[in-house]
Amino acid sequence: MEITLKGRPIVAGHATGRALVSSKPLTFLGGVDPKSGVIVEVGHDLYGKCIKDSILCFPHGHGSTVGSFILYALAKSGLAPKAIINLIADPVVVVGAVIANIPMVDGIDITKIANGDIVEVDGERGVVRVYRGS
Amino acid sequence: MYLTREEERIYDGEMGWAYQVSMRILVKLGELYGASRLIPIESAHISGVSYKTVGDAAIEFLRALSESNGRVKVRATINPSGVDQDRILSNILPSDLVNRQMEIVRLYEEIGATLTLTCTPYYIETPKSGAHISWAESSAVIYANSIIGSWTNREGGPSALASALIGKTPDYGLHRPENRQPSVLVKVEAKLNSEADYGALGLYLGRILGEKIPLIQGLPGAGETDLKQMGAAMATSGMVPMFHIDRIGRSAGGIEKITVDERDIIKTRLDLSTSSGRPDLVFIGCPHCSPNEIRLVSELIRGRRVRSDVRLWICTSNFIREKMREHARIIESAGGRVMCGTCAVVTWLKNLGVETIMTNSAKTAYYARLLDGVGVIFAPISECINVACQ
Repeated sequence: MEITLKGRPIVAGHATGRALVSSKPLTFLGGVDPKSGVIVEVGHDLYGKCIKDSILCFPHGHGSTVGSFILYALAKSGLAPKAIINLIADPVVVVGAVIANIPMVDGIDITKIANGDIVEVDGERGVVRVYRGS
Repeated sequence: MYLTREEERIYDGEMGWAYQVSMRILVKLGELYGASRLIPIESAHISGVSYKTVGDAAIEFLRALSESNGRVKVRATINPSGVDQDRILSNILPSDLVNRQMEIVRLYEEIGATLTLTCTPYYIETPKSGAHISWAESSAVIYANSIIGSWTNREGGPSALASALIGKTPDYGLHRPENRQPSVLVKVEAKLNSEADYGALGLYLGRILGEKIPLIQGLPGAGETDLKQMGAAMATSGMVPMFHIDRIGRSAGGIEKITVDERDIIKTRLDLSTSSGRPDLVFIGCPHCSPNEIRLVSELIRGRRVRSDVRLWICTSNFIREKMREHARIIESAGGRVMCGTCAVVTWLKNLGVETIMTNSAKTAYYARLLDGVGVIFAPISECINVACQ
């Protein structure tokens, strides 16, 4: 099965990878361990999952603006997601994706994407293609 | 968003990575919020200086900016750090924390920031009324918009830094007059007796207001310190970027109304105090003290002596301490410390052996429990000095 979703381009770039999907806002400062890329926010639906090389899908960011620097640090250590897909972009994640150079698209209904789907992100045009094995 | 040819060249990387990434931050934020162009700013104020809050991630980013020759284009002041400028805390705190903290401050200096190390840069140099500025630090943002009348969005550390390097900000939000109008009328029917009551009012209102701008009636006797405390608290529990004070009884039809009474203030004050024991730290200076507050402390403490089992910190900038050195000397000779470049919120209270803090700041009372897990006693300045000296 293949579906195409059209959103708004935020940060240019192409990436393909496996989806890591959350229905909850994500706090980068305090919520993601910059040394391992693991989500450490207690009670989060992705608690214990590593975001490295994923296509990270969540509704929007939350919390301190320092969160942008966490995305940068993750990218420096090779622990960043390959791309970010949001329902609504917020300044913390946008600035983080810009400085870490992570392709990003928003305006996407992320409930259409499931954990483990292969997702192709075109950050230039804001297009997301989802491939699901039967 | 319209960009000039020069701005486009920066965006494309002709001036190097530091300016390119800064321009991209401003353009992306501008696009997100419907800006039409970039406008020049008079100054930037950058938060994200304390190693306690920004950690190693910010060090890496600042180093990359500096190595790619990024330098600020306008006056850029910085927030307090986790250590004081007399190195008193540096001698107590773990050397690893201190070294990383010093590295952050050194990197800010390298990119050309003015090392004010204060959250009240407006006491050093007040921006012009009506000037566009790009300030982070929520208490300074609300003060600048509401009390000084300069125009700034609620920037975060990274966006204020980007504005400092470019010398501009996107023209959305509070840079447009139509977005600076109140959308809620607040009627205060409580009698407010101290700056702590104003702080409690701010904390109470912030929770209700979220991002809305209030027009506040019923504060005829509010002084500068009172409004500073109220604003800082409002920007702590909420995301309020600005308030209006109505001293002439404007009629405000067609907007939502909120009434605050005595019980709301009392309940907020009681909720902030989590301890009834004795404090080991009494802290005044969140936001950093004005000359008037330094003078007031010196008058309250003159002829008295701080208890040997209590630390009294009066926090401000180096600049203000120097300006008020006679008063600072009175405080120090009574056993208090006029401490510069840091505060109780951005340093490591637990590492300093603090279990219970007493303060007149609603913002500190709110954060000390959350960030440091210490006990809190919240009371007006006169009571704080009394307890420190009893």
